[in-house]
Amino acid sequence: MFLLFLTISLSKTMKKFIYIFFLALTFSACEDVIDVDLDQGESQLVIDAFVTNDSTVQTIRLTKSADYFLNAPTPAATNAQVSIVGPNSLIYNFVSDQTGNYLYDPNTTGALDSIGYPYKLEVLYDGRTYTSISILNPVPTIDSISQSFEEEELGSEEGYYTQFWARDFPGREDFYWIKAFKNGKPIDTVDNSNLILSQDAAFSGNAADGFAFILPIRAAITNEEEPFEVGDESSVELLSLNAEVFEFLEQLTIQANNGGLFSTPPANIRSNIKDASGNSQDEVLGVFSMSAISRASETITAE
Amino acid sequence: MKKIQLLLPFLFISFLLQAQEKYTISGYVKSASTGEELIGATVAARAISVGTSANVYGFYSLTLEKGTYEITYSFIGYEEITKNIVLDDNKQLNVELAEQVNELEVVEIDGERDEANIKSVEMSVNKIDSKTIKKIPALLGEADVVKSILLLPGVSTVGEGSTGFNVRGGGIDQNLVLLDEAPVYNSSHLFGFFSVFNPDAVKNVKLIKGGIAPEYGGRLSSILDIRMKEGNKKEFTGSGGVGAIFSRLSLEGPIKKDKASFLIAGRRSYADILARPFLNDNLSGSRFYFYDLTAKVNYEIDPKNRLFLSGYFGRDVFGSGFLFNWGNATGTARWNHIFNDKLFMNLTAFYSDYDYAFGVEGDGEDDFDWSSSIVSYSVKPDFSYYINNNNTLKFGGQSIYYNFKPAVAEFISDGQTNSLSLPEKFGIENGLYIQNERQIGSRISLLYGIRWSHFAFLGEGAKQVYRDTIPGIRKDLESSTEFDQNEVIADYNNFEPRLSIKYDVDEFSSVKASFNRMSQYLHLISNTVASTPVDLWLPTTNNLEPQIADQVAVGYFRNFSKNKYEASVELFAKDFQNQIDYIDNADIFFNEQLEGDLLSGDGRAFGIELFVKKRTGPLTGWVSYTLSRSERQVEGINRGDWYPTRFDRTHNLSVVGSYEYNPKWSFSANFVYSSGTPATFPTNRYEIQGVILPHNIDQARNNYRIPAYHRLDISATLTPQNREDKKIKGEWVFSVYNVYNRRNPFSIFFDQNENNPQVTEAIRFAVVGSFVPAVSYNFTF
Repeated sequence: MFLLFLTISLSKTMKKFIYIFFLALTFSACEDVIDVDLDQGESQLVIDAFVTNDSTVQTIRLTKSADYFLNAPTPAATNAQVSIVGPNSLIYNFVSDQTGNYLYDPNTTGALDSIGYPYKLEVLYDGRTYTSISILNPVPTIDSISQSFEEEELGSEEGYYTQFWARDFPGREDFYWIKAFKNGKPIDTVDNSNLILSQDAAFSGNAADGFAFILPIRAAITNEEEPFEVGDESSVELLSLNAEVFEFLEQLTIQANNGGLFSTPPANIRSNIKDASGNSQDEVLGVFSMSAISRASETITAE
Repeated sequence: MKKIQLLLPFLFISFLLQAQEKYTISGYVKSASTGEELIGATVAARAISVGTSANVYGFYSLTLEKGTYEITYSFIGYEEITKNIVLDDNKQLNVELAEQVNELEVVEIDGERDEANIKSVEMSVNKIDSKTIKKIPALLGEADVVKSILLLPGVSTVGEGSTGFNVRGGGIDQNLVLLDEAPVYNSSHLFGFFSVFNPDAVKNVKLIKGGIAPEYGGRLSSILDIRMKEGNKKEFTGSGGVGAIFSRLSLEGPIKKDKASFLIAGRRSYADILARPFLNDNLSGSRFYFYDLTAKVNYEIDPKNRLFLSGYFGRDVFGSGFLFNWGNATGTARWNHIFNDKLFMNLTAFYSDYDYAFGVEGDGEDDFDWSSSIVSYSVKPDFSYYINNNNTLKFGGQSIYYNFKPAVAEFISDGQTNSLSLPEKFGIENGLYIQNERQIGSRISLLYGIRWSHFAFLGEGAKQVYRDTIPGIRKDLESSTEFDQNEVIADYNNFEPRLSIKYDVDEFSSVKASFNRMSQYLHLISNTVASTPVDLWLPTTNNLEPQIADQVAVGYFRNFSKNKYEASVELFAKDFQNQIDYIDNADIFFNEQLEGDLLSGDGRAFGIELFVKKRTGPLTGWVSYTLSRSERQVEGINRGDWYPTRFDRTHNLSVVGSYEYNPKWSFSANFVYSSGTPATFPTNRYEIQGVILPHNIDQARNNYRIPAYHRLDISATLTPQNREDKKIKGEWVFSVYNVYNRRNPFSIFFDQNENNPQVTEAIRFAVVGSFVPAVSYNFTF
């Protein structure tokens, strides 16, 4: 988790610092793209199911894994039946749009918003059934977003930097995913894999329970390379997660940002979705997560 | 009557003694110009082919039958002295040898007696002295102890920028690095670019890869025994240099001539000082420097007692807005005591603190600080009993008390302070050993003995028990029981037999064989491809068992042309138990239940090492080639099949040469080639939330090999010939590292293309991607 912390909030600054230092030292640390021949593995079903208690349309995406150097969007899995079972055996059907997306509009039979309920995902594909359970955990409201103007420093540009203010629920172990946006788009338009995750108010639980989110996390909502300018909108979505999904996203961040001096051996990420028949040969990739969502936004004004 | 009276005591005495009386001559062998002890100096009665060598403190003891002898004292690079001795009683004789005037034909590259390669029972040992270390062309012109040993057979690393080194298939935590008897946990500065040892202060470096004697214990794969100089006892001298990275200065001199002396040696990087004027205001708060400082004092209380006090401090600091800070500090006291001509003792006590810290520089309302450390205290008595010419007995022990603080963190968020910490861990490691080095006849030498080692995992602390599950999945904590301070939570015992045999085939060649069992009670937990300074050291616990290794080695050693060339071929095979590995995506940091992410398995390594060295003449150097394999088998990784370790390098070749062209110019070069290290590559990709992820359908580990590593370095040393009486002598060193610009891959990783995220690429990361020239200036006075 600490390595995650390093790779998230400091990777840009720190990596830059280290590379500049080495570059200065040896004039030469470098990265080059090379050709490698990889073995090909068979294709597997991938379920990308992040569902929230929001009143907007919810999307679950099904695709197939492909050759590593496909260099194109992975193929969609279109002939599946996707549904979520809620309280009182209410079934929420997700309808295929024939491009791999399965949609549910909460305006039809209501949002999936029973806090504390273990929602169950069911996917029927190619003669097999896959299931997963995810508890919808509560999420704190975001009190505010503050702004401050900062001068240029090593690794960070001059501009307006924002922080979000929210307090973790005391007395329970919580996991969160913080999504940050600039003018409606993710703050990092190039690389969206540096997820901001937290356990209670920090990056490791216990002592951070009940606190306001700690500084490195609060401040992570600004992209140091492209901070805000007057008139920009800084917005934040705070999503609640459960432990398994938090672990999945942690591993996702590590695997998608592996490299350089501190790389870890690539490893497969364990999915929380299982073949219902218990047959472990039919491995499925991906994750199912039920989240409660809270939002806030702030337009930058001149200081 | 009187005659009988005289006869009786005589008979009585001779009844007590051996049939022939034996006496012992003992003392110290030192350098005439500096008073430094000459480690391994030879003391021999050549006429009867009997001799001994001085120990690491310069002490020797030679037992001969009563009589008159010519005893020769010699040490490579020094003029030998022969003394005519009438041995009719035990004698103490300290001898000082004068350094040889440097003639072109006699340029030594190691401080060993000529035929030590074949005659000594030691095998799998390499020694390098300070002069050799300084001659080897190095990165940015900074001569380096650890980089020099990488050129020896059986030694490798995973690449520039990795701390530590690998010996005969062992991990980087399996080397016991000793600096004047005190262990060093992290032997590098700046992620492995430079070692923490100042070459100006180093006297002797010995690397033991196999046939490890019972006096050493605690790590599985090697002992790197580094001895620093004690300090010139005759006159005040100094040396230093200005290099591309470090500036160095060492001062030594007598406190009381011939009785007490001191040595202070320090180095500091100065890139930050140079850069400061160029940094703008916001960056001026950034810091990046590293330093090391050694300070030693020694005092000869009387001919039988000497006292040594030393301290070592090294630190790396770097950051801007955040701060990384790590370092070693050790304080050591040693006492040499001579009980009698045959019994020598060294008693060492040390305190060591290895710590690393990280913080974000906040404003009081918001702040974050994290640190981790290992503190250890130890007592180590070692006795040498020189029974007779044919038997040298050594015995002793060591006790080390450890206090591990894996993580102590404090953070202030919006004015609220709290601490996050992982519980401290405590342990005590003990060892007792006895060994005898025995000469049988004129051809066979034997070193045999046993070490008993013990480790107790102590409270205060918790005994965690984990629920078994499918190997490869995180284990859940089933129970945690608290223990009080110094209560034993778990303990282990191991007996480690050691045996080495040498057989002289003829005057110029010998065959050697050895067996050793080693155990290790400290473990380095690292999930990254190369280790980082923030890797975690953990003690053996009820879940983490001691690591054990058995090694068998066999070798043939031969010298040519009257010891001008030294050659050897050695084969080794090692078997490892309880090797630690991690589940996929293990959580190493700040994880109170880390042991649930660890897996235990077996390891094996085997190989053949070829070594040829030219020792004298204007052209000297060596060629070393190792062919080896190092693998692991762990349930839960690679589907339980054997897989190569991260540091497995099939071929490893080093060619080192040095040419003394004339007194003014000398040139050196080295070429290294090694096979690429293994890496884990994916087979498939998939997308989650717009992020492309790799997947390996076979759950393979280390299924690929990255391209080979090779590099050529050269250097030239200019020693201006000044008037003899000029006090300051200097030399210029010009070096080029990586002459033909090879971009040696340190790792290959996979990432999305910056401009086109749909495209994934294999990216080769090279730490040094071009040739690196440097100039440095060294001086002595």
